Amino acid sequence: MELTNQIILIGAAVLFVSVLASVVTSRLGAPLLLVFLVIGMLLGVDGPGGIAFHDVQLAHLLGSLALALILFDGGLVTPYKDFRVGLRPALGLATIGVGITAGITGLFAAWWLGFGWLEGLLLGAIVGSTDAAAVFSLLRSQGLELKQRVGATLEIESGSNDPMAVFLTIVLIELLLTSDGNAGLVILQAFLRQMGLGALIGIAGGFGLVWLINRLEMSPGLYPLAAMAGGLSLFGITAVLDGSGFLAIYLAGLVIGNRPLQQRVEIKRFHDGIARLAQIGMFLMLGLLVAPSELLPVAGDALLIAAVLILVARPAAVWLCLLPFRFPWREQLFVGWVGLRGAVPIILALFPLLAGFDAAQTYFNIIFFVVLISLLIQGWTLTWLARVLQLEVPPTTHLVQRVELDIPGQRELELVGYRLAENAPIITERHTEPHLPSDARLVALVRDKHLMESLSPLDPRPGDYLYLIADPKHLPELDRLFVPEPVSEHLSELAFFGEFVLNGDAKLGGLCAVYGIELPELEPELTLDALIRRGLYAHPVVGDRVQLGSIELVVRDVQDDIVTQVGLKLPHTTEPTSS
Amino acid sequence: MFSPDLISEARIGCGMEIASKKRLLETLAELLAKDHPRIQAETVFERLLERERLGSTGLGHGIALPHARLKDVTQVLGAFVQTSKGVDYDAADGEPVDLAFALLVPEEANEEHLQLLAHLASLFSKAGIRSRLREAASAADLLEVLKSD
Repeated sequence: MELTNQIILIGAAVLFVSVLASVVTSRLGAPLLLVFLVIGMLLGVDGPGGIAFHDVQLAHLLGSLALALILFDGGLVTPYKDFRVGLRPALGLATIGVGITAGITGLFAAWWLGFGWLEGLLLGAIVGSTDAAAVFSLLRSQGLELKQRVGATLEIESGSNDPMAVFLTIVLIELLLTSDGNAGLVILQAFLRQMGLGALIGIAGGFGLVWLINRLEMSPGLYPLAAMAGGLSLFGITAVLDGSGFLAIYLAGLVIGNRPLQQRVEIKRFHDGIARLAQIGMFLMLGLLVAPSELLPVAGDALLIAAVLILVARPAAVWLCLLPFRFPWREQLFVGWVGLRGAVPIILALFPLLAGFDAAQTYFNIIFFVVLISLLIQGWTLTWLARVLQLEVPPTTHLVQRVELDIPGQRELELVGYRLAENAPIITERHTEPHLPSDARLVALVRDKHLMESLSPLDPRPGDYLYLIADPKHLPELDRLFVPEPVSEHLSELAFFGEFVLNGDAKLGGLCAVYGIELPELEPELTLDALIRRGLYAHPVVGDRVQLGSIELVVRDVQDDIVTQVGLKLPHTTEPTSS
Repeated sequence: MFSPDLISEARIGCGMEIASKKRLLETLAELLAKDHPRIQAETVFERLLERERLGSTGLGHGIALPHARLKDVTQVLGAFVQTSKGVDYDAADGEPVDLAFALLVPEEANEEHLQLLAHLASLFSKAGIRSRLREAASAADLLEVLKSD
């Protein structure tokens, strides 16, 4: 009993420290997952903690479980419109891209370490996939708002390439163990089975779960559990049938997150928490599992392999896979750099250990080191690089509070709250009655802890709390009323989108006539939407730019895949002076 | 930045009773054409309206900056109107417009004119300037604010 209590105390304390660490690291910009990994290493055999944890089987079980939950949550929070923009490029990256990355890294490793080429490729396959946990947590933290195409591509890639890496690893291990038969045929068969079953069960199961959850009548707290249990069951069924469980649970999450669902708010919030717990637990555990003293002997080799992976294999794979989509070079460079490795390679490195390979421990140590390097270098420079490459877009909303209203079977509505600052536009620009979007309703105004009796006429003062019910798509308009423009920031709307707003269906001829732009080749009847699409084989996203003579056009809004608003940026002799 | 001829008191309307975007543009066109016999107010209005079809020239926060090119003008011309009540101007932020600066540039417009437009837009993006323009009670006051920058 004494032991139980001590374990609970230590476990809880470690978890608590890890959660608190997130507050500190978000200020430092350090990748949080690296911190968990380091905490785990400190607690482990070579650190002050001195906990000896060598149970590979248990680590594999918990790691797979955690990964499945993280993928499920990743699917739940990926909106369909991201999917439309990022799916095709991400699919190429997740399949062919992983193959190329694994091939280049693996052949280099085989040559450098003097392994057989199959063994080398196994190492390549293990480090072949980007990590969903790392990508989701890094792209969504630190207040970074990336251009949708870049963010969506990276996220969907990371969610869907784990199955490919898992598959390659398993197949290569089987080939190494049996080493007979036609390798090509084995790989193809296994590929079709893994991906086919994963996709089929994931999507069908996702729809089935939505149907089921919408018909259940139970206490609200049980819905998230039903979703989680359902998702994990799909993972289990698929994996037992030799399909890719990871692909299945990710796709199931996507379907569930994008269908009308009762208790969706509860379900999403619960899984956000569970996914974070899974991240912390998984990285702590993987940190515990490694013996840092064993990493030093392989450090040189691992550094070289990491360098080849980061500087050669990944950029080459990204360049090739994105070739058909004509991503702007800045975006290609960024996607090429953000090939974050994380828990997946470490968990995959357990496979050879479980299979009882001689060199398995060396594999594990090399791979662990590669992941550390990747998290450290790529993770730490990600935000900086996004800024340098100008891939950030102005934040769409700066709300104080946001509550999704869960009205069964109704359209999406949110209760949004603002605390009015002294320089809020509604206070500084009180020339007319504020103009609210057509279906936004003011519901409450709280002043000095008192709920105001009457809202009409509206007389807002600094320090008031205003609450409205609104459609989420009107939030940017509300923000313009209630949140002051950031002063002299590179991401202010004026600096980013330019002075004027044009309609997406405006004709190029008319535009050129007004601004005296002479273009020899372009047809005057071309709409701005078509013009922007022309230079791009991908879907247009907010922040895409086209230079037209001395003016610049910037995509400002995209609805249903059609550019509806285009910012017009005029040339400046000097930097625009800010207020 | 402003040339002294860009805007004069005669081309400024203060506290005008205007009810629609069309009326606002017509008023600005009339002010622009006033001292120039070669310029037709109707033509100016047409041109301003053509520009509005590409997208509203409302800058947000109740201010608009309609503009057009015209071959009969020899130098840049500006006009300004402050209305007593905001008119629906189809601006991106949906706010009614009560301040509008119209700019007319010669056909052989060049980079300099685009820069002037950018300068005006950045001037009107300042909350301080907007509130001073709203407080101004006469054409002379408005001119002073416009020239103060």
